Amino acid sequence: MRALHAVGRAALIAVPVLLISTFITFGLGALSDQNPAAAAMGETATQADIDRLNHEFGLDRPFLERYVTWIADAFTGNLGRSWFTHIPVAESIGQRLPVSLSIAALALLLAVVLGAAAGIGAALNAGGWFDRAVTAVCAALSTIPAFVAGIALIVVFAVLVPVFPAGGYVPPSQGVGPWLTYLILPAVALSLDSAADLARQLRTGLVGTLRENYVTGAVVRGLGPRRVVFGHALRNGAGPAVAVLGLHVPRLIGGAVITETVFAMPGLGQLATTGALQGDVPVVQGTLLVAIALVLVSSVLVNVALARLRPGSGRTV
Amino acid sequence: MTAALEADGVEVWLGRRAKSRILDGVGLTARSGEIVGLIGETGSGKTTLARAIVGLAPLHAGTVRVDGTPVSGLRGAELRRFRRTGRVQYVFQDPLRSLDPDVTVLDSVAEGPAIRGDGRAADRRARAVAALEQVGLDPALGDRLPGRLSGGQRQRVTIARALAVDPRVLLLDEPVSALDAANRNHVLRVLDRLRREREVAIVMISHDLGSLAGIADRIVVLYRGRVVEEGPAARVLLEPEDPYTQRLIASVPSIDGPRPTYARSTR
Repeated sequence: MRALHAVGRAALIAVPVLLISTFITFGLGALSDQNPAAAAMGETATQADIDRLNHEFGLDRPFLERYVTWIADAFTGNLGRSWFTHIPVAESIGQRLPVSLSIAALALLLAVVLGAAAGIGAALNAGGWFDRAVTAVCAALSTIPAFVAGIALIVVFAVLVPVFPAGGYVPPSQGVGPWLTYLILPAVALSLDSAADLARQLRTGLVGTLRENYVTGAVVRGLGPRRVVFGHALRNGAGPAVAVLGLHVPRLIGGAVITETVFAMPGLGQLATTGALQGDVPVVQGTLLVAIALVLVSSVLVNVALARLRPGSGRTV
Repeated sequence: MTAALEADGVEVWLGRRAKSRILDGVGLTARSGEIVGLIGETGSGKTTLARAIVGLAPLHAGTVRVDGTPVSGLRGAELRRFRRTGRVQYVFQDPLRSLDPDVTVLDSVAEGPAIRGDGRAADRRARAVAALEQVGLDPALGDRLPGRLSGGQRQRVTIARALAVDPRVLLLDEPVSALDAANRNHVLRVLDRLRREREVAIVMISHDLGSLAGIADRIVVLYRGRVVEEGPAARVLLEPEDPYTQRLIASVPSIDGPRPTYARSTR
């Protein structure tokens, strides 16, 4: 019931956010002074070409009418056609989305596993050498941008010790092993900042919770250390960490743009970058719309997770 | 009455030097069915003594025995095994912080039997319901989260949780200090019934000398980590011998001038 309530509340916020952000996205595209003829033909485009293609892509209609048509079409899966290649944008996104989602999902998994292990370990040894080491490493990792981490990982694991490829992508249909081999370095590069932040938040939350009387009481009743942490402390101490993780999901999706460029991966980020460089407004608008939708969906999921994790707190992000 | 709890020569040091000593050779005995009041100013070592008894504060010296069995030397898995018997239960001072905010009342109370591995889940719930009824709480409250209970109800839940594992020794840290008069009397009646009907040895840490006067058999006075006086409750409260105890009792606030007297009620 609380989870349903959380979904409802998050969805109520998500709808206006979606409309406002898509309006801004569409508006920026319209203000960019780009047109399909310039995108396709460059300086050789005549005024007749410009008028013809503007009419073909509906750009001679009023702005609001175009926005309403665009957003209505988007709900049916139609994001228009590329001005440059004339390929449907939805089709291009459909081909590249799995790449970006794979990187983001693996980065998220790594961030959760590494961050949780480091955070829990540091909290259980608060004040000890492991805690101090985790704090120092997290502080260092937080200052390293994903593209620097990516380049460093390529130098170390693809050049000096060539165990992973320096770039490219293999779909899972060609084998899970090769697929993971190509994903691991970009995912690690993308996850370091999130893992560090998660570890710090979890450590702080858990140290406070482990001092609570209900945790000490569980110890006095004979509960083992593992059940104390996972049965009582983690659920109550993980709230801020989950909320922070919710804020990191959009960064993981957005960060894929840089990581895909560094690792030459044919993902959503690369599509958006190429689209922007070519002045291909429908491609940029389409990828941004999908990115916005992903961020909103992840926000709803985080709220559900928080509602399930801590029913007594009513906390959401 | 046999001694359910015997603490002898208990020393607790905060650091490695002798001047960090916060308990200095403290002895405390509680027999089955006896209520011992532990009094002293803030920082005198009352809570540390209770924590030392349940193994939360390491002993520098001394022993703690429960039903004649030494428990102060237990460590790790051995200590956990002893704790799971539920023979010694500790009720913390702040009932709100003593209950997991995201665990329902019934699940909290049933946790002790669950840790011990008593019966099936249904049996443990039945036991939890019985414990709630023992402290005068409606079992219908069992589905609530602690945040939706009053302070008095929470305090009784923490006592019910301790009772659910049939303790031999119950350590209560300021169990009535945050309660209004009606709730305080209710909790005191519950404790009185426990010692009479189940012969539980109760150690009650309290600043509320009025409550102790009404219920305690013996009073132990702690001052700067040492026992300065102990004896029958009426004697200690009415005719204190140690100057510190005299000052402590004289410091009880009074509205109309004369110092209140503490006469232990007949049971």
